[in-house]
Amino acid sequence: EADSEGEGEAERAGDSGHCSKESEEDSDDEEDGDEDDESMEEEIGADDSDEEEEQGKYHSGTFKWKEGLQQKASAAFLRHQEAAPNLRKLVYGSVVEAEDSEEEEEELGGLFRVNRPQKSKKVQADALDCSHFNPDISHNWELEEMLNSIRDCFVTGQWEEGQDAA
Amino acid sequence: MASHGLTYEGCNFLRQRLVLSALSGKRVKIKNIRSKDDEPGLRDFEANFIRLLDKLTNGSTIEINQTGTVLVYQPGLLYGGTVEHDCNPQRSIGYYLEALLMLGPFMKSPLKATLRGVTNDLTDPTVDLLKSTALPVMKKFGIDGEGFDIKVRTSWYSRGMAPGGGGEVVFTCPVRKTVRPVQLTDPGKIKRIRGVAYSVRVSPQMGNRIVESARGILNQFLPDIYIYTDHMKGANSGKSPGFGLTLVAETLNGYFLSAEMLSTPQGQGDPILPEDLGRNCAKLLLEEIYRGGCVDSSNQSLALLLMTLGQQDVSKVLLGPLSPYTIEFLRHIRDFFQIMFKIEVQKPLEDERKGGDKVLMTCVGVGYSNISKTLK
Repeated sequence: EADSEGEGEAERAGDSGHCSKESEEDSDDEEDGDEDDESMEEEIGADDSDEEEEQGKYHSGTFKWKEGLQQKASAAFLRHQEAAPNLRKLVYGSVVEAEDSEEEEEELGGLFRVNRPQKSKKVQADALDCSHFNPDISHNWELEEMLNSIRDCFVTGQWEEGQDAA
Repeated sequence: MASHGLTYEGCNFLRQRLVLSALSGKRVKIKNIRSKDDEPGLRDFEANFIRLLDKLTNGSTIEINQTGTVLVYQPGLLYGGTVEHDCNPQRSIGYYLEALLMLGPFMKSPLKATLRGVTNDLTDPTVDLLKSTALPVMKKFGIDGEGFDIKVRTSWYSRGMAPGGGGEVVFTCPVRKTVRPVQLTDPGKIKRIRGVAYSVRVSPQMGNRIVESARGILNQFLPDIYIYTDHMKGANSGKSPGFGLTLVAETLNGYFLSAEMLSTPQGQGDPILPEDLGRNCAKLLLEEIYRGGCVDSSNQSLALLLMTLGQQDVSKVLLGPLSPYTIEFLRHIRDFFQIMFKIEVQKPLEDERKGGDKVLMTCVGVGYSNISKTLK
């Protein structure tokens, strides 16, 4: 966001024609109601109405990825939220697995494909037979907040009402 | 029935598959064992494990192809009795003991297994750990009872560090006809932490240095901490030097959470300072407490097996996050016993300071009954 604004400012100094781009953007994007942009819009927006259409095409191409970012993010978040507690499906597999495989084909940023190598299954099949559980992400137990997160697991921690140390 | 066997691929989870096969009586075929490896087929320690299984059973047939990449196991009767076994030093006794713990209660006659080999190594749970965590779990399932007791008679066992080994462990286990269903849902608060810092064929000062650094971290939470130092030298100290620490946290309701750490074996990898080892082990215990549950991460599959084999009643156990090993075990239980667990995630409350998400496992047992158990 900051980048585009900076760009806009630079352009405003040089060629007024590009400023219509800013006005377009503002009308497109409701959330983008910065005061700077609006004032600028008032100043120059009306001047170059003829160039607006041209610029409009150009603009809609470049900023298309920005459209509905919030929806995309919230959808991804919900998907993640659903996936987390669905342990039963993780363990036993089910319909969700089929959906997942479709999603894997999805393109990322129009250039990269999400590709989970088929190899991983093979590797696991011949991996070390060991019951130790070493999670990938281990917490930093130097931090006070981590230490605080387990304080009530101990008898020295806070007790629930109705319970007593006796 | 032979055609109804199960087929798997790869050498991973070999113990699970063979143990469940022996308990369910289902034939199992494992193919493509390290088929793409430079050294294909079963390793020595796996062959050694199969030999131990053969000693415990009567009338089982084992077929292995020439390259060792295909194994077919037709289980026989779980006989038990007195068994002596030299474990392969590639894996520690814990590797073998984990399987024996699962099989022990379902033998024809009470098991008395003498295992020789490496007692403590980095890959598998050590004998100290299994003794202090696996046995209490089994007791909750009624594999205890009046007059019966399950004992890993390690009070006199001698330690053997990796890679040389030279330790000896005697595991005795009573037989049960049925397993009691359980409701282990409230872990309770941790009242004390115990531990053993052992040093074998190194300076006895190592033990003290480990204890001091571990206490430095754990004393922030609890005053009741006692870590024993166990120094061994001479004849009963095995063949290789090393040191390590096992920590066990006990809750008010009698559940145990554990962590352990060992020095790197002589001549392999970077040496570790005893202070670092103590601190890291204490942090591992905190991690385990953060995960929480009534059964610690290394005994999840044991508890789930006993739930599955319980009487036809509802069993509930609260666990921490499921380990990959446990997830695979759940799949195997479904294959062998057609039991699927109900898995519910319990998120901690906003103001609760009791670690991360817990998982409540619920199932109805298959009503397994040990028909080969001798009647008196």
